[in-house]
Amino acid sequence: MIEEIKHIIDYISDPTISFTILTVFFPLFFPPNDWFDRLNRKLGIYNIWTNKGGLFLFILVTAFFYLGFNDKNFSVILLKPDNFPIILMIYTMFFFTWYAMKKAYINDSRLEDGKKPLEYNDPEDKVLVWPDLVYIELIALILFMVFLMVWSILVAAPLEEPANPSVTPNPSKAPWYFLGLQEMLVYFDPWLAGVLFPTFIIIGMCAIPYMDINKKGDGYYSFKERRVGYFIFMYGWLVLWVYLIIIGTFFRGPNWNFFGPFEFWDPHKVVPMNNVNLSEYFWVIWLKQPLPSNILLRESVGFIVTIIYIMVLPVLLAKTFLKKMFEGYGPIKYTFIMIFGLTMLSLPIKMYLRWIVNLKYIVAIPEWFFNI
Amino acid sequence: MEYKNDERYWNINLLNKWFAISSILFLLSFVWMFYHDNDDEFKTYQKEFRKLQVQVSEEKLREALKSTDEKSSYYQNKYKDELDKYNSNQTYLDSLNTILEKLKGDFYKANMDFLFYKAEVDGFKYLYEDEIVHSHHHDNQEKHEYEHKENYENSLIVLSDLKLKKESYEIEISKIENLIKEEGADLKIAKAELDKYLKEVNLLTMKLEKIDREKMSIFNQIGDFVRDLPILDFMQPYYKVNQVVLNDIKYDVNFASVPSVDRCTSCHLGIADPDFINAPQPYTAHPDLELFVSSTSPHPFEEYGCTSCHSGRGRGTDFISSVHIPNSKEQEAEWIEKYDWYKLPLWLQPMLPVKYTQASCFKCHQSQPFVEGGEKLALGLTLIDKSGCNNCHYIETYDTERKGGPPLTHVNEKLNKDWVRKWIKDPQSFRYNTWMPHFFGQENNDSEDMVKRNNTEIYAMTEYLFPENELNDNNANEYIGNVDNGEKLFKSVGCMGCHVIEEESVALGNVDVPYEMHTSNYGYEPDTNGVDYEKSTRYSILKYNGPNLIGLGSKTDAEWIYNWIKNPEKYWPDTKMPNLRLSDSEAKDITAYLLSFKNEDFENINFPDLDKEELSNITERWLSKSFPDADVENKMNSMSNEDMIDYVAQKSINYYGCYTCHDIKGFEQGKPIGTELTYEGSKNVHKLDFAHIHFIDHSNYAWFEQKLANPRIFDRDKIVAVEDKSRMPNFYFKPEEIEALTTAILGFSNDKVSENKITYNLVDDKAIFEGYELIHKYNCQGCHVIDDFGGQIVDFIGALEYSPPNLNTQGEKVQPDWMFKFFKNPSIIRPNLQVRMPSFDFTDNQWNSIIAAFQHMDNRNISFESDYIVNMKSQKFRAGEKLHEFGACNNCHFYGSEFPKQGAQTWAPNLALTKERLRPDWVVKWLDNPALIMPGTKMPAPYIPDSLALSLDNALDTWGKDVIGLDGDRQEMLEALRDYIYTIEGPIDISKLIKDYFDKNGYEFDSEEEDDDFEDEEW
Repeated sequence: MIEEIKHIIDYISDPTISFTILTVFFPLFFPPNDWFDRLNRKLGIYNIWTNKGGLFLFILVTAFFYLGFNDKNFSVILLKPDNFPIILMIYTMFFFTWYAMKKAYINDSRLEDGKKPLEYNDPEDKVLVWPDLVYIELIALILFMVFLMVWSILVAAPLEEPANPSVTPNPSKAPWYFLGLQEMLVYFDPWLAGVLFPTFIIIGMCAIPYMDINKKGDGYYSFKERRVGYFIFMYGWLVLWVYLIIIGTFFRGPNWNFFGPFEFWDPHKVVPMNNVNLSEYFWVIWLKQPLPSNILLRESVGFIVTIIYIMVLPVLLAKTFLKKMFEGYGPIKYTFIMIFGLTMLSLPIKMYLRWIVNLKYIVAIPEWFFNI
Repeated sequence: MEYKNDERYWNINLLNKWFAISSILFLLSFVWMFYHDNDDEFKTYQKEFRKLQVQVSEEKLREALKSTDEKSSYYQNKYKDELDKYNSNQTYLDSLNTILEKLKGDFYKANMDFLFYKAEVDGFKYLYEDEIVHSHHHDNQEKHEYEHKENYENSLIVLSDLKLKKESYEIEISKIENLIKEEGADLKIAKAELDKYLKEVNLLTMKLEKIDREKMSIFNQIGDFVRDLPILDFMQPYYKVNQVVLNDIKYDVNFASVPSVDRCTSCHLGIADPDFINAPQPYTAHPDLELFVSSTSPHPFEEYGCTSCHSGRGRGTDFISSVHIPNSKEQEAEWIEKYDWYKLPLWLQPMLPVKYTQASCFKCHQSQPFVEGGEKLALGLTLIDKSGCNNCHYIETYDTERKGGPPLTHVNEKLNKDWVRKWIKDPQSFRYNTWMPHFFGQENNDSEDMVKRNNTEIYAMTEYLFPENELNDNNANEYIGNVDNGEKLFKSVGCMGCHVIEEESVALGNVDVPYEMHTSNYGYEPDTNGVDYEKSTRYSILKYNGPNLIGLGSKTDAEWIYNWIKNPEKYWPDTKMPNLRLSDSEAKDITAYLLSFKNEDFENINFPDLDKEELSNITERWLSKSFPDADVENKMNSMSNEDMIDYVAQKSINYYGCYTCHDIKGFEQGKPIGTELTYEGSKNVHKLDFAHIHFIDHSNYAWFEQKLANPRIFDRDKIVAVEDKSRMPNFYFKPEEIEALTTAILGFSNDKVSENKITYNLVDDKAIFEGYELIHKYNCQGCHVIDDFGGQIVDFIGALEYSPPNLNTQGEKVQPDWMFKFFKNPSIIRPNLQVRMPSFDFTDNQWNSIIAAFQHMDNRNISFESDYIVNMKSQKFRAGEKLHEFGACNNCHFYGSEFPKQGAQTWAPNLALTKERLRPDWVVKWLDNPALIMPGTKMPAPYIPDSLALSLDNALDTWGKDVIGLDGDRQEMLEALRDYIYTIEGPIDISKLIKDYFDKNGYEFDSEEEDDDFEDEEW
């Protein structure tokens, strides 16, 4: 029975399946529009954001780890000192998401009833900087120091073998907080996954307040009043960042092959990866002729696709589906939202293109170290 | 009191409570941190050791007290008496001391005055000098008046007065002091005597006062406690990490080499102290303190540490972090139970199991064929040479100069095709203990398809080796003699120094088979009878230096054997087989004897005929590796059957690397086909392919063991093309051989050791090493004991005195120029031996190296010495002559052509040869006690009268005045005897004389019986 559960988990943990499940079911948890909201209500998913639901989530995650702890393959990975922060991260992430959503749902129903949100005049939570807040912060500081000390006593520093240029560790992994980025490297050229995307993430997050025109939901928890923004942000955070870290930590084994959590990390495993560039699809497979020797001609299809994606698509959207939005935000804010949004969207798009049609690069010019 | 403006939204009491709780938690974790930081494992051990030390010291103290018990009261009393005497004079002493004190006070003042005034004088001196200098500047001719001159001169007078006064006090003081000293002189002597007698007791008491808190004063007790408190222990703690930094031994961290740092003695506290030899771990002393660890040994701890030999993580200060490795499964279980042991991952050099520690000797002793205490390593290295491992695997630090197997360039003179095919396929079916390894019938090529392929390959290779005719089986009478004579000769002339004829394999016992060791079908399979098999040791393989000569009748013909034993180098220029200078008839007899052994089982094996279809399959597969498929077909069509055989043969010889051990025409330039092993011992475990074998330890030695036991095992469960299968042949090593080989391989490491630690650099004459190597390679120790090792032929001959001589002290014994002549042209030295010194075809350089090695063994290095001139007119010489009469040397020894008086069985070397051959110093030592130098010799020590014998009444009649004149000085008398021997004249080379005698009278006596008679009758 337990073995079967493990096999099922192993099977569905495959990135193609698990990522798809997450992407498909994500709108049900954070419904961006009325249709999904109705479905959410119908299926009772909102119950998750109650105390009982939180307990259920907690038990579910703990059961998974308990199962892993007792598994001879998974326990090796779980008990690595390096991976301890990730387990902490998973719990805290679930907790804060749950906590925010719980409060938001309460406020949403209050607002529907015409009441003010909980925070409106809530003396219970009112804090004076001096002396209350400073005092509370001091206590928090001390408790956190206690936690750090106990942690460092109980778990020794995770040292590795002496660095040797001719023997790199296999798998060779980034620090845990960068594993999401490392996972992106599977799908993107280093200059994109390692340089452009991280820069965009930082600038994009700095830019959110300047692009936000929604006056509602300020100063209190609320979901319904900014559900599209909430949905997009949470998808980017939970699926495209946290989940990729989890994949990188628990599911990537020797030779960066994918392994289910309960599988043995067999260094002999071979998974063929014959990836094809868009130019090869176009010229060799479709037109059945050799690749043009002119690089720009060879990659012209890729350039056209890229230009359509980032230049033509926003304009078309502004005129059709997102007409309202374009009018509301104005051309400058709209342009920036599109740049950041489309960049973010390119990650899942590229992942699926890789999984479905083995697409390597849309524009592939290794001669110039330029690949998209 | 209430504050009006004290606006609060939080309950301050609640916050206070939280603050209190978190502060307490903080304090607790802080204390925990301190505790954790100071609770080192090694401190526990050090505390325990301190108790042990107290125990041991107390025990020793008790013993010391016991041994000093009887006399101590005598010294104590003496001391007490003197002390009483001294104390009784107290009033007188007091008065002296009072005067002394006063005088010292006066002296202090006088000395101060003197020194102060001296400073003044220097001031005056300067002023005066200054004046002189300035007067020159003005250059006045008139006489100058110096203002300060008088002043300075007067001051000098005052100073000398002051000095006198000061010195008079000094004299007074020393007078009084002498008086006091005189009073105490006896007391001091008594005290010194007492201290000397109780030295050990005092030392132990002092030591105990240092380590045993109960014996300390209260202040020391407090100090002893405080010094180990956290933070304060940075100064001078008692419990601390002990470490040694080894600048000569480097640890390679890939980017740099850093000196090793060993902290092992933080826990192994008694390692250098012989008192702890039976103490429990970790306090046990090193089992071989004479060779290791102790400061007087050749490998002191301060210079070599621990990890240079044992590996492991020297900086570790607890059981796990120093990467201890268990020696057995039982120990592993025990450690897990006791220490929660696990193998610290990622450390590249875990401790070597004790059975492999000898590997580390190779780091420094790599040019020496044998290192004392390195039996296993030496066996491993010897096996590498004998099995020809370094023919296929290049080893820079242990290179080979010759191919391991015989040349196959003219094998058709020796063998026929059928024999060769069957031999290649399964060598052990002909000779169960051959060095030739098995390529076929292994686990990755014993399937039906593979056998078919291999048979075809063998067929092709054999055809390639026989381009012309085969052996023509010439067993003509001109090559065959008498079998019985042959047997006698084989067993007596010295063949058995290197060869055996053992038709039955030695029974094998319960071999403990670790992991999955594959054993042979013929010799080395585990036997359930519980009979122990013959374990391989350095000594036991001496007799297998040449092949076990069974079954030759089924192998070759008389013509070949006859020619071979007459002159081995003609067939194989590189052979190690020497020439025994056999006469024609001797060679015929031995040939007849060797041919009398047949192997009918082998003769009855049928090797299948050539499978032409398979031949073209193999050809096609090989062709398609180098050519496009279209070309392959064209080529195949143009190839005749012979072409294919030739092609497949060449491919196969290349593939199996036959040419690395054998000379084969067309493969003169072939390179070794195996992995280079120069640094194999340091190879990262990741780089060893364990493939699908999970049942062995993930360590390099486990991999090596398994590879040696079953070289093909890592192909198991793998899908590989026939041309890519692993092909290391199976040598069917015995378990102890595998252990020795693994030891040697682990020794091939890239650990950096300073130049001054490598023994090769410590010896000036590098030829010495070549000499040792030649002695080793040409198996001199098969016949002779050299450096206390070897001489296995005596096991066959039965008696030491009929075996080749023991060559211990050879470097000190013979004159090097004689040795050179002897090597070039061996003559008979010991007429009673049938064993012959063979002729080796060495260059002058090689002989010189061998002589240098012999001399090195005895710490000598002179090549030429002046002749020893005897003064024949001296009393000493005459005494020698007399002593010689009593010695009756001519009972056994030849005097030139003069035969000894006794029978041939006791014949001994020609004494006329002595002055040419032996060194005079050595002869004296030899005469003093022959059995000490050559155990088992028949030479008795000549009777040398002692002074008692010489003082008897009839001494003058018996010994004469010359002997008496030497005053019973044994050394003088031995020298006198030696001097006489050096004057014995006569022909030096009597080989022919002896030969003729034996040809006429035969060599018939039973050594064992004669032996007994001899001892009873004469001595």
